[in-house]
Order: sequence, then structure tokens, then C-alpha cells
Amino acid sequence: MRKVFLLFTVLLSFGLLSACGSSEQFDLTEGNTLTVGLEAAYAPYNWMTQTQNAFTVPLNGQPGAYVDGYDVVVARRIAEELNLELVIKAIEWDGLIQALQANQIDLIIAGMSPTSERAKTVNFSNEYYRSEQVIVVQKTSSLVNATSLNDLSGKRAVAQLGTLQNDLIDQIPNVTKLTALESYGAITQALRSGQADLFIAELPVAQSITAANSDLTYVAFTGENGFEVAEEDVTTAVALRKRDTDLLEAINTVLAGISVETRNGWMTAALERQN
Amino acid sequence: MNDLLMSLPDQGEFFKTLIYLFVTYYKVILFGLGITVLLSVVGTVGGFFLAIGLTGFRTLEVDKKRDTLVIKILKVIGQKFAVLYVTVFRGTPMIVQAMIIFYGVAQANLFSWWSPLPAGLIIVTLNTTAYISEVLRGGLESLDVGQMEAARSVGMTKSQAMRHVMWPQAIKNALPGIGNEFVVNLKDTAVLSVISVVDLFYAVRQSASESYRFLEAFMIAAIMYLILTYLSSKLINYLSRRMSQTGEANL
Repeated sequence: MRKVFLLFTVLLSFGLLSACGSSEQFDLTEGNTLTVGLEAAYAPYNWMTQTQNAFTVPLNGQPGAYVDGYDVVVARRIAEELNLELVIKAIEWDGLIQALQANQIDLIIAGMSPTSERAKTVNFSNEYYRSEQVIVVQKTSSLVNATSLNDLSGKRAVAQLGTLQNDLIDQIPNVTKLTALESYGAITQALRSGQADLFIAELPVAQSITAANSDLTYVAFTGENGFEVAEEDVTTAVALRKRDTDLLEAINTVLAGISVETRNGWMTAALERQN
Repeated sequence: MNDLLMSLPDQGEFFKTLIYLFVTYYKVILFGLGITVLLSVVGTVGGFFLAIGLTGFRTLEVDKKRDTLVIKILKVIGQKFAVLYVTVFRGTPMIVQAMIIFYGVAQANLFSWWSPLPAGLIIVTLNTTAYISEVLRGGLESLDVGQMEAARSVGMTKSQAMRHVMWPQAIKNALPGIGNEFVVNLKDTAVLSVISVVDLFYAVRQSASESYRFLEAFMIAAIMYLILTYLSSKLINYLSRRMSQTGEANL
């Protein structure tokens, strides 16, 4: 009993300590460091590469490793326009928001959707990409001809843990929802090995996965035949700490200067670089 | 061979993909391998020294006649702390310890240098301390009571007897266990990728992030872990054989 009490005291002191963290806003002075967190494992938004080119940024603390992708292009544009020094850290998906709260990073630019759940903890900028939800299937599967969610009835579907796609599975009638996996690599493997019949992904992710795996293809649905999604779920946005309101405003100004055509061009270019 | 290096092999070309991934990402993978070895070496060596202290606390004996009240209280606190430490660190998974320690300290803004790698080194050291402490305690308790009695009978004080007679033998007995702990660390530090330590596991996961060929990538990880653990086991066996030989010669 006393041990349990002691353990509680230890945990409680952690809680108290965390309450007295810094409360100053991010300092936008020119030349300051802007640290961005992303997975470096979510192509085409962000992926790790050993090749240095005009688009890549070195990964902090990992000599020889660079990160490329749509998110990196956006991060570079933001840092450039705000005259800040860009540093990019690779952080596990589940740890991104925690790392932001813990001041390990200043921004999350990781293909993250601004859900209302997440918005309770962090602030989101305006969208920097808007995507479509599609399903990825084996080329030999009958699902290739599916035109509505009803055609997916009774199939086995899988998605990434803690993502919108995992919630969307429930909209498929009589679906067998498989245990969510931790990365798209594992999900792709599950589909290719026949453990799953389909998975749901954003269009650019589906495009990049099907481009790298010739035995897979994706199916898009039109209008009401597809998944019902909230506005906040099909867009990606930059996540910031609640207190960094000046930085939020500055980022929204930068994003407002990027047209939809430019965005789509960046995404297509990212997909081409990846393959 | 050159074609192999240029572009991603087709689906189903398992071994070609394996070689392609390694050749394309060798810098990142070997750096990750280095981090895994660093974590295991620092964790095991650091854990060993801390464990000597912790076991010292744990094996404190209150001398009812000679100890003053303050000494008695300090000894009891030390003992209880050591027991609690071992209970907590052996009773919770390292992945949980990593999350609590890394994000707890980061959120509290305690140290400006706090980042995944130093945090990982500290976490694996703290964790290993608990395990090696148990190994050392076993080493001490396995010694014959006669050892202590003999040392005392030639005029050594209790602490002299511990330092010159008991501990050297206990450590020697514990060496295979400590070596085993090193091998365990080589594998178990993979969980530290959860706090974004870029060890072998994380590096390999990243190197599949462009092509999504995870099966091949993790096969590379498996091979590298196997090489590491196989070589370390051989080295540890060799060292402990040598130790036992010199030990006998001294007798």
C-alpha cells in the first residue's frame, strides 16, 4: 500500500512539474530556429531519403538522413517567408502532439488532419492540403469495380491506428474491422498478404502506395457513394501550441499566399520524386 | 549489380529488394546500428556501476547494538528505496518507462539538452540497473557464509570483508548474468524508438518509408540484430571463460 502511495507521489510530482512549463510565445525574430516535427515515414507527405537535393532537409540528429515530401516543401516555404532557420526532427506519429506540448518541436507539419479531438490540445492553421478518401485493393480483387460503399459489404478492412481512416471503416456495411496497425507499411503488407481485403487512405497516399506496389490499385467514389466526411477531416493543417498565436497568424498569412494550383503541383511533384 | 543500385526492384524480388534497400540507405541503417550498440554499452556499463550502489543499499544490515538512531533510519530508507526501485523498474515495461520519463521531463522543461537520445541512454541505464542489481544480489547471496566468517576471523571489519572478499567474488559470479543483460539490451532498446530514438529499428522503419517495402526492411533489421547478438554472445563466453581461468590460477 505504501509503495502504491509512493508511486502516486512520483507521478503527481511529474504532473505538478509539467504545470510550471514555459508560457512564453514563440519568438518570431528573424534568424531564430523553427523546429518542425514529422514522421519521416508517411509518403508522399514526408519520407526519409539518403539523397540530398533541392527539396530535402537534413534530419536533426541523424547524419546522412534527409527528409523529402510535400510537408517539407511547405515547411521550407514557411521558414523562408518568415526568415527563420528550419530544423526538422523525425518523431513517431503517436508522439508528435506530446513532443509539441513538451517544446521538443514548434510545429507539426506531418499530413495531420485538424480534427476537433486534436484541436482540444493544439491549435491548427488553415488547411495546406485537401484530399480525397479512397480505398486501396489488390488488382485481382473484385472490389476493383466497386462504385459505392455497399459494394464493400462484408469485407475485411484495416487502417492506421488513431487515424480518420480507422473511423471511416465503420461506414462500410457489415464490415469486418481488423485491428488497426501502426504504419502504412504494415497496412500495405496486410493487404498484399491477403489478411485484409481493402484499406482506406487519402488519395495522395494511395497514389504513392499503388505506384510502389504494382499489384495494388485504388478506387475512388463519387459524391454520396463515398465516405461521409467532415470538412476538418479531409484537410491537413499545421499544428501549433495553443499559446503561439503570433506564429499561427504568421503561418496563415504564408499559407494564404499559396494557391490551390501551386499545392496540387507540389503534391504531384512530390509523388514523382518518390517514385 | 549496378542495375540493382539504380532503382527499386519489382514486387516479389525479395532478395534484390533487400540488397537495394541496404545499399540505398546504408548510412542511415549503420548509424542506427551504432546508436543501438551505444545504448546497450552505456546502459549495461552505467547500469552495472549504479547497480553496485543499489545492491549496496539493498544488502545494508542494521546493527542493533552499534548503529546510532540516525544511521539506523538512513539504512532502512536506503534499503526500502532499493527494493522500491527494483520493484518499479522491473515491474513496468521499458516502453512505458520511456514514455513517462521522456515526456515527463520534457514537459517540465527541466534540462535544455533533453532530447530523445540522451533520454534513451538514461532510460536504458536506469532500467538495466534494476536487473543487474538483482543479478548482483544473487551473486552475493550465493556465497558461502563461511567466506564472511573467515574474513572476519582474520580481523577484517564487515565493510573490509565486503569490499575485499565478498564483492569481488559476487561480481565474478554475476558476470555471465551481466553479459546476458547486454545481449538483452541490444534487442530491447528497439522499444526506445517510441520516443523517437533513431536506433536500428527506427532507421530501418524509415528506410522503408519511401518504397513501403517493410517486410524486406525488417528482414535487414533481423539480420543485423542477429549478427550483433551472436557476436556479443561469443565475446561474452570467451571473456567469462578467461575470467574463470585466471580466477583459478589466483587460488
